[in-house]
Amino acid sequence: MGKRVSSDEMQNIFKILQKSYDVYGPKIYQGTGCFSDTDVVRYGLLNSWEEIVWNQKSDYSFKEVLLPISETILYFTENEMKTADGAARQRLIFLKSCDFHALKRLDDMYLKNGAEDYYYRRMRENTVFAVMGCKESGKNCFCVSMGTNRCEEYDMYIFQDENGCYMELKCRELEELLWDYGQNVQEKPIFVENNEVHVEVPEKLSNTIHQDSMWQEYGSRCIGCGRCNFVCPTCTCFTMQDIFYKDNPKAGERRRVWASCQVDGYSDIAGGHSFRQSQGERMRFKVLHKISDHKKRFGYHMCVGCGRCENVCPEYISYIECLQKLKEKEGK
Amino acid sequence: MDINTKKLKKNAFRVSKVRGLTASRVRVPGGCCNADVMQQVVDIARKYGNGQIHVTTRQGFEIEGIHMEDMDKVNEMLQPIIDNLQINQNEAGTGYSASGTRNVCACIGNRVCPFGNYNTAAFAKRIEKAIFPNDLHFKIALTGCANDCIKARMHDFGIIGMTEPQYAPDRCVSCGACVKGCDKLSVDALKMDNYRIVRNEEKCVGCGVCVTKCPTRAWTRSEKKYYRLTLMGRTGKKNPRLGEDFLIWADEDTIVKVILNTYKFVKKYIDPNAPGGKEHVGYIIDRVGFAEYKRWALDGVVLPQETIVKDNIYWSGIHYR
Amino acid sequence: MTNEYIPFLSKIKEIVKHTETEYTFRMTYVGEVRPGQFFEVSIPKYGEAPISVSGIGEDYVDLTIRKVGKVTGEIFELNEGSCFFMRGPYGNGFEKENYQGKELIVVAGGTGVSPVRGVISYFGEHPDEVKKLHTILGFKSPSDILFREDLKIWEQQMELILTVDSADDDSYRTGLVTKYIPELELDNIHETAAIVVGPPVMMKFAVAELLKLGMKEEQIWISQERKMCCGLGKCGHCRMNDTYICLDGPVFCYSEGKKLFD
Repeated sequence: MGKRVSSDEMQNIFKILQKSYDVYGPKIYQGTGCFSDTDVVRYGLLNSWEEIVWNQKSDYSFKEVLLPISETILYFTENEMKTADGAARQRLIFLKSCDFHALKRLDDMYLKNGAEDYYYRRMRENTVFAVMGCKESGKNCFCVSMGTNRCEEYDMYIFQDENGCYMELKCRELEELLWDYGQNVQEKPIFVENNEVHVEVPEKLSNTIHQDSMWQEYGSRCIGCGRCNFVCPTCTCFTMQDIFYKDNPKAGERRRVWASCQVDGYSDIAGGHSFRQSQGERMRFKVLHKISDHKKRFGYHMCVGCGRCENVCPEYISYIECLQKLKEKEGK
Repeated sequence: MDINTKKLKKNAFRVSKVRGLTASRVRVPGGCCNADVMQQVVDIARKYGNGQIHVTTRQGFEIEGIHMEDMDKVNEMLQPIIDNLQINQNEAGTGYSASGTRNVCACIGNRVCPFGNYNTAAFAKRIEKAIFPNDLHFKIALTGCANDCIKARMHDFGIIGMTEPQYAPDRCVSCGACVKGCDKLSVDALKMDNYRIVRNEEKCVGCGVCVTKCPTRAWTRSEKKYYRLTLMGRTGKKNPRLGEDFLIWADEDTIVKVILNTYKFVKKYIDPNAPGGKEHVGYIIDRVGFAEYKRWALDGVVLPQETIVKDNIYWSGIHYR
Repeated sequence: MTNEYIPFLSKIKEIVKHTETEYTFRMTYVGEVRPGQFFEVSIPKYGEAPISVSGIGEDYVDLTIRKVGKVTGEIFELNEGSCFFMRGPYGNGFEKENYQGKELIVVAGGTGVSPVRGVISYFGEHPDEVKKLHTILGFKSPSDILFREDLKIWEQQMELILTVDSADDDSYRTGLVTKYIPELELDNIHETAAIVVGPPVMMKFAVAELLKLGMKEEQIWISQERKMCCGLGKCGHCRMNDTYICLDGPVFCYSEGKKLFD
């Protein structure tokens, strides 16, 4: 059971949320696309309810709110290190079901794979999640195939239609804040139940699939830009960087920044050796992680089927097509 | 047959080598027209021409093999094309009102090309609106980026699209794609320092390669669109040469004003005894001097603060005379 | 909530210079640590570098560092008594239980000797814990030889084969480590254990030789060197298949380790 809220009321609700939270959601960054006069939909601090983009999936995922692209983790002077302060305010993130499932992957990686990550934990604890119901499937979405089209563990559910919004609240804090708003109704959260794209993930790949010649073809096509990783809601790799301040060389900071397994340097070790030098090997490394290796470790697939990597590749390398090729090779 | 060839030429027809036959020159500002225009050109070629259409270097159509006595009928048939392309005209149904100022050319620009920094056809049309009809011989071309596919530098006015790259350090992952791209495809104006990118502002030509290469949107285009205005490139018998930079990081309004001012300058200084009243603007500037031209060109122009104006221009090229 | 990324300062007790580019730094450290584990050492403003533990004492760890980058270059500028930052130890390291009571063969090449130095020293000092200890160490040239002081001691304690790829004078044995594996005189192949550490190619061929002798994959341990960045199973750089080398490795039983590919 949830509430029906009119569009006008939603604006008030948004203002109330803003008082308690930094509210993040997908919004249009005009003219910031790769090409001139193109826009990008990505996550940012929302200034109004209208800013949220509902009708298309964000080009970049929500992950940059929890895991900043470049995050200062330590400040140092010559013999002292200090933990960088975290964000002062609580965050509310509007995201779609696929991304909400991606959150589980981030949690497992940062909170369970080895010791807890201090910075992620700090950010995660102060964040609540509002799942935006999808009216229809987006371009190259295959959430249904990956079982990420529905979810339940959210703090808030919201669906927007011609009559306003349907809203469910599952966390006490939000319930208390929004108690007085909307009409109680007997509705159910709406999720996408069909995608145009269906993917069958091969579950029985042979041990020699990494030697298959199919990967070589990608080697001649992929330019190693890393876009597929950067838009992916489940890619979590980072690299550490130390910098010193130009105006005070005795002080500096240690940062971690997003890394991509497709970009040169990812696996270089001191002394010059590097693993996976060809783009074909890197493609294989990424794809098998998403639909095989991650499952071996965590028990479920890493890929959530958001289709962003498919949409962003400047060389039109299709991840979906790759999965289909793998499916055909399954058991062979 | 009694034909006033001067009028014929002004009316965008041509005196061809075959006596009694002419060709109709259809101007397509920015080289951008729709299928209706194409169909109408085809209809004229079939009805009054010999079925042949020449696609001109200036992005027009030249409908070949028209009998001079059919020119009025052709002009009537040209009207929907003129309307469709919104060409300024003195009197409807009479064809083109001038031909001296040539069709304003443009590369395909950012409508299609990933490198294009602006809508070249739209700007071309704006310029066309501002300068046509005019009998003075001006050649103008617009290109989307510093690749200059339209060869704007071989025109009296070359307009080269620029963007001022905007860098958001907190979105940068130090992948180096921009540095590599700028080095391999452009002018090597980027360096990585302390894991961040430093742009050599003097070297940067505003091509936007860094923006297209950036995988995280750390590099984006400036909200304002910028242009490089090159002057007085030309082909020809005496001294073919490439145009030289006059304004860098200029805006649209400035460029339109400078072109209009140049018309005034030419009216003032054109050689009254030039054969056919035709003297190329470049040769006029050669004769009068750049300093005087510049005075006229920038008259009443309020330049954006960031615009670089060249103090002087020294053209080179090949001197046959 | 502890912040695993914050390093501690450790003092350089002693520096042993093996070659111009390879020094061992004896660092103050009290805590549990195993040979084969590694620390992230750092010099603020220059960054971090993963360095494996090459020796362990009551109040120190030895870190044998090759000068190959920014961080290690800075560390080489430091003197005894000065400090640098460390965090760790990370990784599983060698567990002596896997080798106790067996005839142990250690094959190591180049800087791969560092992570096994602790193992060799331990069993050298506790000869009763293994049936026999064979050590084959390979270096590029005489000037690349590490741990010369240790070698003198080890010579007394165990069967030691030291070889260099090539040498100008003939006082050195030459050839790759693989050349000497077939010559090992082993009492009972079924009661042996082997440790192989070195560059990827060397490990591959050394393991092949050991298998030829009749050893089983389960009897061989290898240590995988990969890019270690966070050491905490987060940054992803060291992953091979479903395995994070910094958490689950770098030491693997070959029967498991062979399944991993880059």
